[in-house]
Amino acid sequence: MSETIYLLYILSFVLGSILGLVLSYKKYNAPYALGNIDVLALISAVIGWFMAINSGLVPFIEPYITITIGVFLLSVVLGMRPGYGRSETFIGIIIAGIIWIIRTVIL
Amino acid sequence: MANILLNVLIAFLVGSVLFGLQRKIMARIQMRPGPPVIQHLLHTFKFFVKESSFPKTAAMPFYIAITAMLCVIWVSAVIVGPVTQGSLLLIFAIYALHKIVEHNAGSSSGSPYGKLSCVRAVFSAAAEVPLFAVLIIIYFKTGTMDLSQIISFQTANGPLIYSIPLAAAMFFVLILSKAPYSPFAITKGKDIISGYETEHFGLLRGYLMMSESIAWYMLLWVFLTVFIGGLNPLLYLLGMVTLSTIVAFINATTPILNPNHSIMMQVSFAIIGVVGSLILLL
Repeated sequence: MSETIYLLYILSFVLGSILGLVLSYKKYNAPYALGNIDVLALISAVIGWFMAINSGLVPFIEPYITITIGVFLLSVVLGMRPGYGRSETFIGIIIAGIIWIIRTVIL
Repeated sequence: MANILLNVLIAFLVGSVLFGLQRKIMARIQMRPGPPVIQHLLHTFKFFVKESSFPKTAAMPFYIAITAMLCVIWVSAVIVGPVTQGSLLLIFAIYALHKIVEHNAGSSSGSPYGKLSCVRAVFSAAAEVPLFAVLIIIYFKTGTMDLSQIISFQTANGPLIYSIPLAAAMFFVLILSKAPYSPFAITKGKDIISGYETEHFGLLRGYLMMSESIAWYMLLWVFLTVFIGGLNPLLYLLGMVTLSTIVAFINATTPILNPNHSIMMQVSFAIIGVVGSLILLL
């Protein structure tokens, strides 16, 4: 069972990355985005990293479903075309990491 | 059967993503944006829908059969490893077969690049097989070649990486030699285009790339299982990402070695590893 869930996460990551790549190539023509933050990508990254790392905070859904959705959302941003999605991913990791530290270490 | 399919699929996907991650890290170290992490996977899929053509110089049907053989041996490795946790000796046999397949894939195409790679595959086997002498050290330490018993040994006595670190270093050098762009990757050095894969196109290339992804996953899996112990899937993934990252750092900062130097360096590692480990065991 654990291996099936593991496969589910990997498939979610791969599909999310492919979608992110396709969408970002459609959305952006310039090879590099310097200093601009894509709001939609930021929301996706924050929610994705939050759900993947802090699945325990969403009690009404099975953790593996939360993590699968989270991995999909974070990989959409992580898989964007080279030069895009890095700041958004970084912010997502920081916010999810802070919440994880608060709930597991401090509380 | 379902378990085999599940594990093969995981091995292929994780191996491909790890190759992509490796390229991404290498690119960032070299101040380039680099390809997306799933680039290797996309490349593999791409070859499955590309036209397959066969060189006039190819030795049929060997030229085609060799790609299936590479796939079969690494699927067998998945069955021996994660599925049944069988004997480590079988993994060694599969690795030895991999060297033979590399050799034959190069020679069967008729391409001069393939032939050079074929010669280098034999040459590198002279160094990589001694590195597999790590098996003897593991046997001396644990008294078994069975993966499940090695895991049990480590549960009782702690990870082998602490007690036989030189053996772990030897195995790491072996893993390094299988990574693309590594200083020891002489069979696929860019001076001979893509080495033994140069004249394999379309579907055949797709199979070769798929097998390489599974091979990468399996080598990392064996390293983690034998030297750290049985882990849960998440820790396996973390371990594989860590090892791939270290390999990426080494690959990004070192040039590919001349075949003679590559072999001599690997043999030196093997001698230091075997002798040092035996001294540590005594």
